[in-house]
This record gives sequence, C-alpha cells and structure tokens, in this order.
Amino acid sequence: MSSISFQKTTRYLSGLALFLGLVSMSACTGKGGAKGVLKLPAAADAKSLDPALADDLYTNEAISLIYEGLVEYEYLKRPHELRPLIAEAMPTVSKDGLVYTFKIKKGVKFTDSDAFPGGKGRDVTAKDFVYSFLRIADPKINSGGFWIFDGKVKGVNDWRAKNKDAAKVDYDTAPEGFKALDDSTLQITLVNPYPQLLYVLAMGYGDVVAREVVEKTGKDFGNNPVGTGPYKLDRWMRGSKISYVRNPDYHHSFYPTEGEATDDKALLADAGKPLPLMDRVELAIFIESQPLWLNFLSGQLDRAGIPKDNFDSVIDSGSNQLKKEFVDKGMVLSFAPSADVTYTAFNMLDPFIKKAGPKFRQAIALAEDTKDTLKVFYNNRGIPAQSPVPPGLAGYDESFINPFQRYDIEGAKKLLVEAGYAGGKGVPVLQYEIGQGAESRQMAEDFQRRMEKLGIKVQINVNQFSELLSKIDQKKAMMWGVAWGADYPDAENFLQLLYGPNAAPGPNGANYNNPEYNKLFEQMRYMADSPERRKIIHRMMEIFATDMPWLPGIHRVTYGLSQKWLQNYKIGYMGGHVAKFLRVNEELKGK
Amino acid sequence: MFAYIVRRLLYAIPILLGTTFLLFLLFNVVPGDPALQLAGKHATPEVIQTIRIELGLNKPWYGQYFDLLKQLMTFDFGRSYWTKQKITDMISSGAGASFSLGFPAFIIETAISLIVGLMIALYRGSLLDKTVVAFSVAAQSVSLLVYILAGQYLLAYKWGLFPISGYDPDLIGRWPYLVLPIGIFVFLSVAPELRFYRTIFLDELYQDYVRTARSKGLGMKTVMLRHVLKNAMIPILTNLVISIPFLILGSVLIESFFQVPGLGDLIVKAIANNDRPVLISITVLGTFAYIIFNLLSDILYAMVDPRVQLK
Repeated sequence: MSSISFQKTTRYLSGLALFLGLVSMSACTGKGGAKGVLKLPAAADAKSLDPALADDLYTNEAISLIYEGLVEYEYLKRPHELRPLIAEAMPTVSKDGLVYTFKIKKGVKFTDSDAFPGGKGRDVTAKDFVYSFLRIADPKINSGGFWIFDGKVKGVNDWRAKNKDAAKVDYDTAPEGFKALDDSTLQITLVNPYPQLLYVLAMGYGDVVAREVVEKTGKDFGNNPVGTGPYKLDRWMRGSKISYVRNPDYHHSFYPTEGEATDDKALLADAGKPLPLMDRVELAIFIESQPLWLNFLSGQLDRAGIPKDNFDSVIDSGSNQLKKEFVDKGMVLSFAPSADVTYTAFNMLDPFIKKAGPKFRQAIALAEDTKDTLKVFYNNRGIPAQSPVPPGLAGYDESFINPFQRYDIEGAKKLLVEAGYAGGKGVPVLQYEIGQGAESRQMAEDFQRRMEKLGIKVQINVNQFSELLSKIDQKKAMMWGVAWGADYPDAENFLQLLYGPNAAPGPNGANYNNPEYNKLFEQMRYMADSPERRKIIHRMMEIFATDMPWLPGIHRVTYGLSQKWLQNYKIGYMGGHVAKFLRVNEELKGK
Repeated sequence: MFAYIVRRLLYAIPILLGTTFLLFLLFNVVPGDPALQLAGKHATPEVIQTIRIELGLNKPWYGQYFDLLKQLMTFDFGRSYWTKQKITDMISSGAGASFSLGFPAFIIETAISLIVGLMIALYRGSLLDKTVVAFSVAAQSVSLLVYILAGQYLLAYKWGLFPISGYDPDLIGRWPYLVLPIGIFVFLSVAPELRFYRTIFLDELYQDYVRTARSKGLGMKTVMLRHVLKNAMIPILTNLVISIPFLILGSVLIESFFQVPGLGDLIVKAIANNDRPVLISITVLGTFAYIIFNLLSDILYAMVDPRVQLK
C-alpha cells in the first residue's frame, strides 16, 4: 500500500514539473520584442514624474522624455553647449547681464489630457513657464530645485516667504523676476549676473508643466505627467519598468546637424531628421547588476553600462579595449568622464582637525594611494582628482597638479613630524563616517590600513544615508567619504562646495572658510568662461591644495556597451535622457 | 467562539498602540532627519525648515504621535515623503506582486514538503529517507544568493528556459516571469520544511494510538492520512499560518534580482530614504496581519482538534 502511495506522489510531482515546463515554454515564446522599441536600463526608479521633484539623476532622465524646457544641451558637442528647445532662439541678455528675454516657439503643444477643454492639448505660453518656475519656489511643494532661483531671481524669495504660511499659494501674483510679457515672450530678471542661469534652465527643474493638469490631478500629478516632450507615459510599473510611447504631436526638435571633428560619421546619419526616432522606449530598472548584464548579453537591452564584476571579462586590461568575443558580436564600447569627483572631507570645525592644521591633512593626503584605489575598486575607470573640478567642464585646468595627490609614505611621515604629530602621537582616533554598502566599507578599511602606517588609528562608522547626512549637516562628523556629480558643466558647481557661506547644512559640508578663496569665488561665479576666470580658478585650486579641506579622490569614467544595432549613441550627454536621439536598426537586429 | 474572537480583536488594540508607539519612539531616537534627505544636495537652513513644517516634523513628539494615530485610525496612511504617492496605493500594488510570487511558492512548497515528509517519515532509515535528509541539509547550507545567481544564469540565460527577469502587472502576463523565482523560492524553502514535517510525523508515529490503529489491522496509508496527519495538524497549522504574512512581505533578494516590484523592494527603498510614513504603515499592517493570522490559527486548532476549546 505504501508503494502505491509513493507512485501516486511521484505522478503528482511529475504533473507539477510538466506544468512548470509548459509555463516556461510559454515564457520563451515571448522573447524577441516588438519593432520600433528602444530598450534601455536604468539603475534606479524615478521617485516621481513631476519636474519639480527631479532631484536625482534617474528622476531627471525619466522625466526628460516627457517634459522639456526652454533650452537643451547639444547632443553631440563636447564641451557641452546649449541650443534652444521650446525657446525659438537663445535669449537676448541685457548689457548688465540681469535681464534674459526668451521668445517661445509657436505650436509647441502639451499632450492631450482631460484637464484641457475637449481633452485636446493646448499651445505652451510664457505664462506656463512662469507657473512652472513658481512651482519650484512653492514652499508647499518643497522642490529640491529651489536653489536654482534662490537669491538669484528678483522677488522670488519674497514670494516664497509670503506664501509660506498662506492657506493657498498665490500663483496669480508673480514676482518681478518672472514676467510673461505676452503669450510668447518670457522675461527673467536677476538680482546679480548669473551666467549659469541657462544651464540650470536645461535641468529638469526648468521644464514646463500645464497649470490645469497640476490643479486637476493635485497630489497625484507625479503619476499623471502631461508634457510637451517626444514621448508620453504609457505605463509605469514602479520599481520595475517605465514605458513610453511617441508623442504624435511632437514636431519641434530635430537631430543635430553638427558634431565634433572626432565623432564617427555614422553619428550624423540622421542629421536634421525629426525626433524622436523610435516609437516606444522602455526603461527597465535594475537594482542588481547580474540581470542587467544577462539581459544585455541576450539582446534584451540595446545598451548597458559594464558592471564592475564583469569589467575584466569585457575589457582587455592591456589595451583598455573591448575583448575580441564582444567585437565579433558587433558590440561597440564607449567611455567618457562622468563629470564628478569622489572625496574624503574633513570637518574644518572639528576641534582636532582645526588644531592639527594643513600639514596634518597634507600628510594624510600623501599616505593615501589614489592610484591603488582606482585599480582595486574602479578597474582603473577614472583619473586621480587634482582638485574638485572634473575634466570636460568650463574651468577645468589640465595643467594643475596637486602636490599632495600622490603616494609618498616617507614624505607623509615627515610632514606629520612637522605638524607636531611624529609617529601619530597625539592624534586621537579619527572618526571616519561612511554610508552602507560592502564597497564603502572595503574602501574605508583600505584607508584605515594606510593610516596605520603613519601610526594613526581610524574608527570606521557605518551609517544609514540619512544618518550620515544628519551628522554632516549638524557638523558632528569628523571625516567622511562622498561624491558630487555635476548639475551643469561649469567649475562653479564644484568650487561652491568649499565656499564659506555654503557651510553645513549647505553643500560645503567641510565647513571650509578661507577668506581669499571666498573672495575669488565671489569674483568668478558671475563671470563667463574666459582666460581671466581660468586664472582665478587656478589660484583657488592652489589654495585648496595647500589647505587640503578634502582628500581629492577620483574623477570617474563611465564605460558602456552598445549592441551592433543601436545607432547614434554618444556617451557623456549631460542633458537628461538620450533616448530621443537613438535608433534601433531592425535589419541589423534581425541578423 | 464569537465572544472569543471579539475579545481577541479587542486585545489587538493595545498591541497595535504599543507597536506604533515603539516605532514612533525608534524613529525619534534613531538619528537621521528626513527633511535633510529631502532637501537634497543644495540644502539651506530655510529649505530644511520649510520641509520640516510641511511634514509636521516641527511639532512636539506627542503632536506627531497623535497625527500618526489619527491617520491609522482613519485608514488614511497618508503619502510617502519621498515619492508623494498614496501609501495605500503603494502597498496594494507591492503586496499584489509579492503575493503572486509568494503564494504559489507557498502552496507548492507546502504540498511537496507535506507529501515527501510523510513518505520519508514512513520509510525512516531507508535510502530514500537518508537521501532526502542529506539533500535537505545540503540545500539549506547554500545561500539564497547562490540559487538566484546560478538559476538566473543557467536556466534563464544559458538554456533560455525562462525570461531572465521582468514583470507584467497583467494577471495572466505575469506568470512567465514568475516561474523561475517561484521555483527558486520553492527549492530554497522546501528543505527546512521537509525536515520540520518529518520530525513532527516521526513524533506521532511512535504514539500509542498508531500502534493501536495498526494492531486493529489498519493499513499504514490509512493510519498516516487519517490519524497521523490529523494529530500533527496543530504544529503544521502554526507553521503555515505564521508564514502567510511573509508571503505578502516578500523576499527582498528574489524581488530585486527578478525585477518583481513587490513589498520587499518598497521596504528597502523606504529604509534607504528614511521614508517614515511608509515604514510605519507597513509595520503596522504587518503587526495587524500577525494578530489576525494568529487568531485564525487558534480557530483552526479548535476545528481540527476537538480537545481544543476557545473560551
């Protein structure tokens, strides 16, 4: 009887296996993908599809397919240049650099929405921009982008203060700085010259939204985007995938006709053609690198970054080029500087750090081996940072060499003696704050080992990100490792990280405050790129290297692989998502 | 029984109040101000203060706690600090995905482990028993991550049997994506369950009533299904019912590797972003689920075992 029971059980299990097999076969029939679909990965989901909340890279990229602003970055030009998008042309600027006047293109429409009469999208006007910019300053919305107008646009701070305690924010009374002179003329008036204004208007915060839609959808506006961009939202599976479909009424943006002399000629094959080039875009969100990489290798993604763990199997370490097996598959390698900097900051208000002086910090810098860090943790994907300013930005100075950005343990020991801490005597245990993650921990342990050579003990404190921010903002951290990515391609965006008045809780978490540096910053921040400005920046870098409020880490380089069928891809674009410029060659994909 | 259920539900009130208070206390003691994170990298004191006012974080602790209780009592969990989504929408969408992954895995794993557990208990000491126990010990010794990495690489990428990852909210369309993660879930959880059920059944097999039943001429199959299984139901039910909230809470690793937008992913993001309302809501709902399922298991005890009386 028992054997009968065993046979029956075996039969049930076989049936189950058959069922699972059938389901898996049905899964396989789903492979291949529809035509006209561009499939790209994203390392994180957007937090909202409201431009006012586009505080991070991923949100900014996700909204940029739906929303647009007055200007955008040229797709193919490096260093980055701006070109008009919803603006008819680049603005006229008054002689004193305070008044910017934009003419808005006629016939740029919002996509259809129930919020509009008859459900049909209407033309964008200058008033829409005034409304959209005021949303960024709205104290009830709490956009992380207020800094782009804060203290810079006339009357904006007063408008914000006035509406702080109001039951309803008054959008009908705009501050002096934002004026719609007529339906197609927008005027922005500044408090001081602010040459970075056009750059910040190219960020997601500068995108235009329709007041009717915001008011109709209320707090759910972030899930119901209605913009003027090349695509419309089709479906958003939070945490998994964002799908877009082409906006049929999009007629105002074209593929660039000029690139760099070094560009591949194929990059101009679509020159002058109306954008976008594909009917659908799917952004698949990958938290883990293995599924991303396997999906790319199996052709389910059109391009992907190269995960750290796979780097050595893809790139030949000697030539830094793609290995043959990938070249044979027609895959194309691209890499470009990421416009960022990693660094270890000292809290200059910490009693010991303040007392120890610059020689102590210089000694620590000399004991740090950035080249080794690059090799071990970044597969050599980057360059040692000489200053806060990364390459590719206006103001980057290739000739500047930081005398303390090199490994010299004997020199470090000597400097430590000069600082009065021979053999690390008298140095308290340094408190090194890091965020969570195995790699942060390993890097901190590496730092800890190097400091031991100087006789200095380091205590590593692992924090939740919010906890780390609290410690920095409350000036309680002693040392910590972080990174800063460019908001726009100008050195000012990095040099402000050490400007005294920006001390914590502002972006100058190190609380560095050097009067000469501050004065030079105030001079250069309102200047356009010029030899004179570059000279000032050079001097600021010298001050930085002497005072060493940070241990400069590296400027990372992004590597990516494209499938043979992906056309027009150029790495290193700063302006939102590149999807509207890309094309999938279906013929090549089928081969 | 009705009076018992009402009484147990009333007991739930102080438990929920205690849970919310402990959670609230924890968030106020643990460092990390959500306003700082929301203010972004260009924060100024003015911006941080405005956010604190908007979120109600400027109120005294008892004011904040009262606001929280008000929200929970009206089943309006509010909105996420981070995404501004309605928390009820976030939870219902995530719970659906997690449940689609966890429930079939739970059913399959329970069926396999109960059937095989009964079999190996019956054939204790046989080659089958030794093989299954050895397999269980070996399977339990390997990390979940290994199953995921190997399963995804071999079964999905190399052999093309399943999609590598992905999800479809459509009720039918989601299944092709779920087969592999469900398979891994089953493979991982069946091993400890098998050993657990085997032990329970073996305990019962040496009881006097089994010997009596056998001496009365009953066959082993009848004894196992009619008597042993029934007598073993209390620990089985306890184990099963307590597992149910876990099905909804999901498996963080499986969800993130297979791009399943479940509650696991939601919880991880909420922790990373210090999204207090989301974390509090999920924890309170989880506590409530435990209370309900505990009550359910008590009711089931009474149903399967006439010796248990609910008073």
